[in-house]
Amino acid sequence: MKDSRNEIWVFGDYRNYFQNRVTLQLLSRATELAKDLKASVCAVVFGHDVDEWVNEYIAHGADRVLVIDHPDLKCYKIETYVNLMIRLLGEQRPEVLLVGATNFGRDFAPRVAKRLKTGLSADCIDLNINEEGLLVQTAPSFGGNILAQIITPKYKPQMATVRPGTFQEIPHDYERTGEIIRIPMPTDLPRERVNLIRSERSPQRIQRIEDAKVVICGGRGMGSKKKFKKLTELGKLMNAEIGATRPVVYANWIEPEALIGQAGKHIQPKVLFAFGISGAIQHTAAINNAEFIIAINKNPNAPMMAMADIAIVADANQVCLAMIKELKIRIRG
Amino acid sequence: MTTMLKLVTCIKQVPMVSELPWDPRTGRLKRNLAGGMINPACRHALEAALILKNTHGAEITVITMGADIAEEVLREALAMGADRGILVSDPKMAGADTLATSLVLSKAIKKACADFDLILCGCHTSDSETAQVGPQMIEELDIPGVTYADQLDLNGRLLSLQRLSDNFIETLEMELPGLVTITTQKQAPRYVPLAGLQDAFSQTDIDRLSLADLDLDSELAGAKGSPTKILKVYSPTATKDNTVLKGSARKIAQQLFDQFDDKIGGAIGKDIKNYQERP
Amino acid sequence: MDFNPCMKHKLVRRTVRDFSEAELGPIAHEIDRDARFPWEVIEKMRGLNYFGLQIPRKYGGAEVDSISYAITIEELSRVCASLGLCVTVHNSVGAQPINSFGTEKQKERFLPPMASGERIGAFCLTEANAGSDASGVETNAVEVEDGYIINGTKIFVTNGGICGVALIFATVTSGTDKPSTNVFIAEKDMPGFSVGEIEDLCGMRANPVSSLFLEDCRVPLDNCLGQSGSGIKIALTALDSGRIGIAAQALGIAQGAFEAAIKYSKERQQFKKPISSFQTIQNYLADMATEIDAGRLLLYRACALKDGNKPFGTEAAMAKLYCSSIATRTTNLAMQIHGGYGYSKEYDVERYFRDAKVTEIYEGTSEVQRLVISRAVLSQHT
Repeated sequence: MKDSRNEIWVFGDYRNYFQNRVTLQLLSRATELAKDLKASVCAVVFGHDVDEWVNEYIAHGADRVLVIDHPDLKCYKIETYVNLMIRLLGEQRPEVLLVGATNFGRDFAPRVAKRLKTGLSADCIDLNINEEGLLVQTAPSFGGNILAQIITPKYKPQMATVRPGTFQEIPHDYERTGEIIRIPMPTDLPRERVNLIRSERSPQRIQRIEDAKVVICGGRGMGSKKKFKKLTELGKLMNAEIGATRPVVYANWIEPEALIGQAGKHIQPKVLFAFGISGAIQHTAAINNAEFIIAINKNPNAPMMAMADIAIVADANQVCLAMIKELKIRIRG
Repeated sequence: MTTMLKLVTCIKQVPMVSELPWDPRTGRLKRNLAGGMINPACRHALEAALILKNTHGAEITVITMGADIAEEVLREALAMGADRGILVSDPKMAGADTLATSLVLSKAIKKACADFDLILCGCHTSDSETAQVGPQMIEELDIPGVTYADQLDLNGRLLSLQRLSDNFIETLEMELPGLVTITTQKQAPRYVPLAGLQDAFSQTDIDRLSLADLDLDSELAGAKGSPTKILKVYSPTATKDNTVLKGSARKIAQQLFDQFDDKIGGAIGKDIKNYQERP
Repeated sequence: MDFNPCMKHKLVRRTVRDFSEAELGPIAHEIDRDARFPWEVIEKMRGLNYFGLQIPRKYGGAEVDSISYAITIEELSRVCASLGLCVTVHNSVGAQPINSFGTEKQKERFLPPMASGERIGAFCLTEANAGSDASGVETNAVEVEDGYIINGTKIFVTNGGICGVALIFATVTSGTDKPSTNVFIAEKDMPGFSVGEIEDLCGMRANPVSSLFLEDCRVPLDNCLGQSGSGIKIALTALDSGRIGIAAQALGIAQGAFEAAIKYSKERQQFKKPISSFQTIQNYLADMATEIDAGRLLLYRACALKDGNKPFGTEAAMAKLYCSSIATRTTNLAMQIHGGYGYSKEYDVERYFRDAKVTEIYEGTSEVQRLVISRAVLSQHT
């Protein structure tokens, strides 16, 4: 008879710690959910030299941390990690397992769910406990234009992945204590069939647009390649990355890597400027997680304007030029 | 003598989003009005398969799980150069979540193309966007697999992949048979040639597989075989209480930076308060 | 009678639309403004068999059914009428006459490079003094030992500036026989064959419509198309089937303008309401929708007859007459709905308005179409 634990597990995805604090965000959400379930929170970490993260996780809400620390785990290896997690889940059956929806998480979580034949929702924008004590997962489709509330009533653990930036982390409390359980690395794991030849942090270009705090997106409404280029000047003044919609990329006003959309990059900036963008769904699906949207469009009824926090009804090109002028006056030094 | 590579590409028919009428007042999509199209990432997966066919010689089987109308995406794939199309369709498959879907697709591949060398899938779909079916098929078929691959290179039975995973540039290798999911970054998909389209309808038959053909218990497919249950589906309220600015561009820029200097200044890390005397 | 498009036709429409919107959409405005022929997209169109639509498989063509053909031309024209024109003229009146009237040797020689788009076709009938009156062509061909020497000037040749193969209609004056019209295949680098200035036109500006000069141009016997004296017959046959292409082109222009009008009417607000809520605009949209639908049905009926190897000339004339008239009417209404903005080049609708008009003029004016139809009507009714 397997041990069933009234616990919420959070996978410790630590490798991108400074940019990506999803584990801490999930721990804080787990803490709230744990109150409703009268459960405790447990972080699970596989890696090498991970003590720093272990302590962070306790400081951010973990009551317990399961750690497997071994040189073989210096880099994330998918099959090994899945096998380790399955072993742990086999011995201790928590109620819930939460995984950050990083590229790794979105590969790792489904494989774990499949092995256990349990349910998994992706990119949840909210998690709650209902009257039956089940995890209600609010998951988006169509880029967030449709939401579904999902439960996994019959299988454990109930699993969900959550994108970085969805939940707020609680401030750390280094006075907090928690139980650290160091588990020895098993020696009988099946051989990893996928060989990681190389895994290097990508060199910091100015910044990746997916991580940028401020993004300026331009659409066809900018008028021409020459006028579109003015956004770059505005971007320099604002430390912003420049993105574009599909028609702009097709018209060769900017390189294809700048495409923001379902077939391009998804962004979650603190502030997003949308210049001359009508708001086609292939684009808006990729900007749903922007915190604050400022849209500039001649057409007050463009869908982009309905999504915006500030809707500026004016010619996008002229506002861009005016903003450049205004910022040059205001920014000292 | 080299035997032909056997490639399988899984494709999904998704609503044609660009056609979806959008009601700006309610922010709702009128889903029932759209036609279907090949999911964009699946198109990239198919393109990767076609490139492999070009360089190495291969037979490409495209497979989809869907209603009768999903035949359209198979025909389109055939028009682009795929060799065989399989429609996995059964009313009992409806309502499947990714667990049930990955099971059905895996069983179908084992039935129709058991000696596959490589399965290619799109990294995610534009409608449900879970990105789960690929990894779950990897588990179901118990083969090596890599997700979010940008680039593939095949040398004999060794597949080498490049990808950007959470800010890490990675190179991975695995032996065939295996499964990869392809991102929308590289291999821009080709357009459909009209001669190919004619042939796709006149020269090839689509194979159909039902639940019975797969020897699969109906309890494991469709909604019955899905551990997740949907409680409700809704559109989030789209009406935002937004501020509208109008007027001359100059005034707008001033107003914007005056009223929101904290928000904007904070985000860009600069002080943009107006300290000067302005006329 | 099933009026729903079959899966194949749905896919033809969608795939050509995908291409047109992605590749022609971003440049359509600029190439019209600059009267530039976009070689860069022609390369891509060649790979998709657009230049081999009506050429048999054995010569490298795609040999599609007439409805697929009409849909392709319509979808190209919906975004860029100039390129829709290029493709339809090349297929219907450039390649098809060679396919219908050429010897096997001629077909093997000319059709494969035309099917691949390596050589684009042009149809050269019109002259300064010969428009609707085809029999009045003054370009003359004198028989010599191993061919003919041709002299004359052809005007308003669609694809003239870029054609690799041109069908020249000339009057042969040979001694005692009465003059007859013959068709000669001129090729780009033939001595004595040259391209004149590109016309500065109201619409279809990205199509290099030009004059062609034949100055003692020697054309070998191998380049004589069809039997001697069959020029008029070839012309009329070509134009019969060319009508289907032009009707499709006109339909595409109307459709594009119509969609722009719907979109604009929903976005534009006056008196605190979108103008699409006003009955007058609604009436306009209703008329446009009905007429476009009617035009489409006329067109596909002509296509079905052609594919069934039944006579289709009258029906094709009806389709061309009607579709071209609704193109001008629809684009006019669409511009009206756009109000002042419609008159500005910032919006596409004025380009549709300018492009539409010529569909009532070329490949048989609307007056000539009426001639064809009324002849049929009068001969059928006793």
